[in-house]
Amino acid sequence: MPEARSELSDLVPRELAAELLELGRAQGAGFAEIYAERAVVSAFALEERRIRSSEYSRGQGVGVRAIHGQQTGYAYADGFDAGDLREAARVAARIARDGAPGGPPRGFAVVEAPAPFSLAAPVTLTLDPARKVELLRRADEAARGHDGRIHEVSAGFADSSKSTLVANSDGLWAEDRHFLARLTVTAFATEGEVRQHGYAVGGGSIEASYFEDQRTPEQIALEAAGVAITLLRAEEPRAGTYPVVVAPGWGGVLVHECFGHGMEGDVIRKQSSIRASQMGRLVAAKGVTIVDSGLVPFSRGSFRVDDEGTPAQRTVLVEDGVLVGYLWDLLNARLTGNRPTGNGRRASYRDYPLCRMSNTFIEAGPHPPADLIASVRRGLYCKNLGGGSVSPADGNFSFQVTEAWRIEDGRLAAPVRNATLTGNGDDAMLKIDGVGNDLLIEGSTGSCGKDGQWKPVGVGQPTVRFTGITVGGTGT
Amino acid sequence: MSDTPREGGPLETAALLRIGAEAVERARRAGAEHAEACLESLRSFTVRVNGGAIESLKQSVTRGLGLRVLVGGAQGFVSSADLAPASLDELARLAVALARFSTPDEANAFPTPADAGDEALPELGLVDPALLAWPAERRIEMALTLERVALGCDPRIHRTDGASVSTRDGHAALVNSSGLARVSSGTTVSAHVAPLANDGEGKQQTGWYGMVKCRLDELEDPEAIAREAARRAVARIGARQVPTARVPVILSPDIAAAWIGELFEAFSGEAQLKRTSWLTDRLGETIAAAAVTLVDDGRLPRAVGSEPFDGEGMPTRRNVLIERGRFAAILYDHYHARRAGARSTGSAVRGYSSTPGIGSHNLYIEAGDEGPEAILARVERGFYMDDQGSYGFNSTTGDYSFQAQGFWIEQGARTFPVEGVTVASNSLEMLRNVAAVGSDLRFLGSVASPTLLISEMTISGG
Repeated sequence: MPEARSELSDLVPRELAAELLELGRAQGAGFAEIYAERAVVSAFALEERRIRSSEYSRGQGVGVRAIHGQQTGYAYADGFDAGDLREAARVAARIARDGAPGGPPRGFAVVEAPAPFSLAAPVTLTLDPARKVELLRRADEAARGHDGRIHEVSAGFADSSKSTLVANSDGLWAEDRHFLARLTVTAFATEGEVRQHGYAVGGGSIEASYFEDQRTPEQIALEAAGVAITLLRAEEPRAGTYPVVVAPGWGGVLVHECFGHGMEGDVIRKQSSIRASQMGRLVAAKGVTIVDSGLVPFSRGSFRVDDEGTPAQRTVLVEDGVLVGYLWDLLNARLTGNRPTGNGRRASYRDYPLCRMSNTFIEAGPHPPADLIASVRRGLYCKNLGGGSVSPADGNFSFQVTEAWRIEDGRLAAPVRNATLTGNGDDAMLKIDGVGNDLLIEGSTGSCGKDGQWKPVGVGQPTVRFTGITVGGTGT
Repeated sequence: MSDTPREGGPLETAALLRIGAEAVERARRAGAEHAEACLESLRSFTVRVNGGAIESLKQSVTRGLGLRVLVGGAQGFVSSADLAPASLDELARLAVALARFSTPDEANAFPTPADAGDEALPELGLVDPALLAWPAERRIEMALTLERVALGCDPRIHRTDGASVSTRDGHAALVNSSGLARVSSGTTVSAHVAPLANDGEGKQQTGWYGMVKCRLDELEDPEAIAREAARRAVARIGARQVPTARVPVILSPDIAAAWIGELFEAFSGEAQLKRTSWLTDRLGETIAAAAVTLVDDGRLPRAVGSEPFDGEGMPTRRNVLIERGRFAAILYDHYHARRAGARSTGSAVRGYSSTPGIGSHNLYIEAGDEGPEAILARVERGFYMDDQGSYGFNSTTGDYSFQAQGFWIEQGARTFPVEGVTVASNSLEMLRNVAAVGSDLRFLGSVASPTLLISEMTISGG
């Protein structure tokens, strides 16, 4: 984040912003907000050794939100035409009717917040298309060279730059700039009748040099190819409920789904989450501390200010097993008398903000990870998880495990394919009985979906042992 | 709210065609040998209600352009919501500049009018004038009704996770430098509600029901939608885990539809050419029970997945993917068809902001003649699956392993609700093990299936 100021204040000058906010409250809404955005995405796709497509897209516009009590009116316009923006503000304002106009804000105060980290040379401003294509070629070569059974490789490189501006009727004015980049590799392996694939990714909110000195295309490609080859000889998981050890990093998607969604301010305010009545109670095993932080360096889930202009912060949700804090966006914080925690986030100017996580993780514990595996007589080691989902109201969750190993007498005995973990989020965190000392926050790949909006997030955890999780599969 | 949103409608079709032709022309001038513009304009309205009041009201009018160019056989693509003339010039130059980073590929081409054929585009009934004229307050009223009726269905339903009604209307245009110019229009309306039921022990269960349709008169009565959603929530009360077992499994229409939505990729020409799917090299083979016929139809009248032409301007059509158990067709867009020496099946699917990919229109398993209750009665001991988690399919292996909810079956009858289990098998086995296909095919979206009975799957539980 080399600069916090963007060009957006030229496109939406303060006078226009004040006018739009006045229009947004013209029907009596108590609060109005504008959110302007300019985003560019560049993407290159390698398929079957070819650079199949080179792409660029641009999105820009302004959304206007009016809040009247618990009600939200939202409208937006593509671009920055003042007439279109005024119309959007008038439409949003209609959430209230015939109330006293709120007037314009008395002036704007710029939100001062330190950047959680800075980027000297982000990918978007540094790498030209030829360099990005070269990264894809290197990944393709490395994956194919790993093993003769790798017969096909797909790889993609995408990076984005986004400038944002938030101004609201309380006089808040905040600007930010976000840079993301990601290299993904899928390697396909075949042997006889068996086909498998492996997937790996690198990236985040990173310096361009990341792909040379942090995680090279070769490393990413070899990881993907290695998984595909390992799975060729994988067995079906044993169906049933038994001990499970989850590897550090992306395994944190478990705490994100099973626990984090139930801690978001909207479901707490509406009391549709079981967590709403559990403040101060034991909700996870002793020794488990769960944090959400928008400040994690170089993660996709980090930012200086959220999409409502609140500075990012570190929020402890669970301390030593006890529920101590929730996540709040502006609307839900106001309605419940809480302070916003910097968790008001939106996919783009076409969406109103929702309360949602940034980087969510389980803090490190005392155990060497090898001990956690060694302590299991018969169980499953989940080395890599795929997607996961939860139904927040009833707590049912599931995760696809992309690479797992059967544990026999404390050793990784054989690779396992096609495993699915399931359970209920209400008690999943209580089933943790060992926390490793190897915390890893995975900030390169996560996207969280909520109400149709997808948003970059980070997740993390050290190696974690569960007493028992239901594992789906066809083995016995 | 008393007024229908009037902040200008979506750009009309003539304007889209004109801007598209303009973009193609500018791309040619910028150095593209071939160019193709895909445009959309869309008006949308969404109301969400919760606790008897509007929670949010969102309205918008949007448009956008995707410009694809070929330079020396290599492809570049740009997209933007900014359709001003100066922007078109810049986009055209960018697309041409980008193309030189792609690999030249002689299969890259855009369909010509001869490829597309000169048939008149059919009238599919995709625009509902009644929906265009439907006042905003009626939409809000319907959302409120959905929630109110759901709350009144059972004393154990104390609240909902909200109800919503959305409408969209708009136009799409496709113009390319070979002289193809196509335009179409459509409307959709969706309605759903998610009641929450309490089981008395502090445990909450969710139900969800809703649908998206092209026309207002195809939408189920909101009271019926609400009652079905409430029935689903209440039916879950007291759900428990069952022991691990290998038993027959009935997939409810929703669950069967979700499965064929996952299967679809294996039928794409891309997966076939790359040899990355579990159906590689199996065209012509018997891959399913004879009762299974799987169809993708782009021309079902009044269906949300229908469109007269695909994302490259080729006519859509009815493609039979599995015909009475036999793998009968691979689906192609123009590029993969040229690679395979085949013809496009009209299966290029896209929005303006992406390049075309092979996708489905209205994908469904044809109805059988057995009622769902008759199928249930055939199962001595098994599981009826009617809800699932989001992830659990492996597109390379066809492996299927989903978190599941539903109820247990004994002696052909429902016994108790089940949760906390997974259901696993492999898609090829499942297709072969289809022991019954229900008569209850009904579209709630663009992918649909009747009830299916799979003779054996593994339930993983306690």
